[in-house]
Amino acid sequence: MEWNSTQHFWLIMLSFLVALIPRFVPLAFFRTRKIPKWFNEWMNYVPIALFTSLVVKDLCITSTYTFSIADKLPELISAVIVFAIAYWTRSMAISVVVGLASVFLIAFII
Amino acid sequence: MTKEVNDPSTPNWMKNLKVSMPLNLSYIPIGLACGILLHAAGFNTYLTALVSIMIFSGGAQFLIASMLVIEAPLLSIVLMLFFLELRYAFLGSSLSKYLQGQSNRFTFLFAASLNDENYAINYLKFSTDKKWTPSDALQVEHYSLLFWTVSNIIGSFIGSALHINLTIVHFALTALFIYMIVMQLKSLLKLFVMVITVGFAIFFMLLIKSTLGLVASTLLASFIGYSIESYIRKRNPKYRKNRLLRLFKNPAGTPMDESDEDDK
Repeated sequence: MEWNSTQHFWLIMLSFLVALIPRFVPLAFFRTRKIPKWFNEWMNYVPIALFTSLVVKDLCITSTYTFSIADKLPELISAVIVFAIAYWTRSMAISVVVGLASVFLIAFII
Repeated sequence: MTKEVNDPSTPNWMKNLKVSMPLNLSYIPIGLACGILLHAAGFNTYLTALVSIMIFSGGAQFLIASMLVIEAPLLSIVLMLFFLELRYAFLGSSLSKYLQGQSNRFTFLFAASLNDENYAINYLKFSTDKKWTPSDALQVEHYSLLFWTVSNIIGSFIGSALHINLTIVHFALTALFIYMIVMQLKSLLKLFVMVITVGFAIFFMLLIKSTLGLVASTLLASFIGYSIESYIRKRNPKYRKNRLLRLFKNPAGTPMDESDEDDK
């Protein structure tokens, strides 16, 4: 099913809401109150688990939800390179650009 | 350059532009890649501009693009986005102390254009520069929003003009997520959470056969991390010296961020 622009528009509006709520509510709420400790401690572990899940999906889950890394060799090698580059440079732009360059070069060589 | 920034005759908007410039420049390649992918997902240029302004999050926009390509249902996309954006609750709460006394309208504007990267700049400025005001912070957010949106629009044009290998451009998102993982890796326990998440993510996605598997693995892995940390804190009064919780040294020597701050 191909989506049309009206459906895309409503997707954006709904996305705006779910993107805004987590940004606005705590900011408005905690301007005057203290943040509960358990919430902070739990939120500490959410980003790393979420991003890892997303990377796993990108690298070794196919669009029909089966496990496969057969044609993902350039991405897997580049992922390791990006990991090292991000660790040493701490720069988002360098990590992304080097990642794109290395996946392009490795795909070209293989 | 530092001297110029400190020059009192420099207008305020110029000072704030200089503060935000490194971030603005780094948005250009990522914004281009994002615009190309959104075009491939069927978004026209107006919608690409709209989504960049209204959502203003690289991760979220890449996610929308990739989920549209695999024809995920609307509910699944919105739910995934909610979980992806939930981390902003944490960023927002840690900035809230600097926004005390601001109106609801200002808070709304500030929240709407808050994201990971301008948060990092503003948090640093608020905690180190006493003259840094909430309106300076809002201006930095708006500069980065401008660069991001323009890059997305140009990316959308590039996508319609050239035929581009999308599997390669798509890796920009994976690289962005890997970068964010690395920025989060601050203790052995975080590393452990990362490793168990790999197993959970594969298991749940093959089991549930949908992106809800991502939600399941995220909730389970983060809960395990949180439980282990609480257990160590309860059992051991010197938990800060515990091998699992001790913070790593930062190789690039960047300033401490929000989660280090909490431990004070």
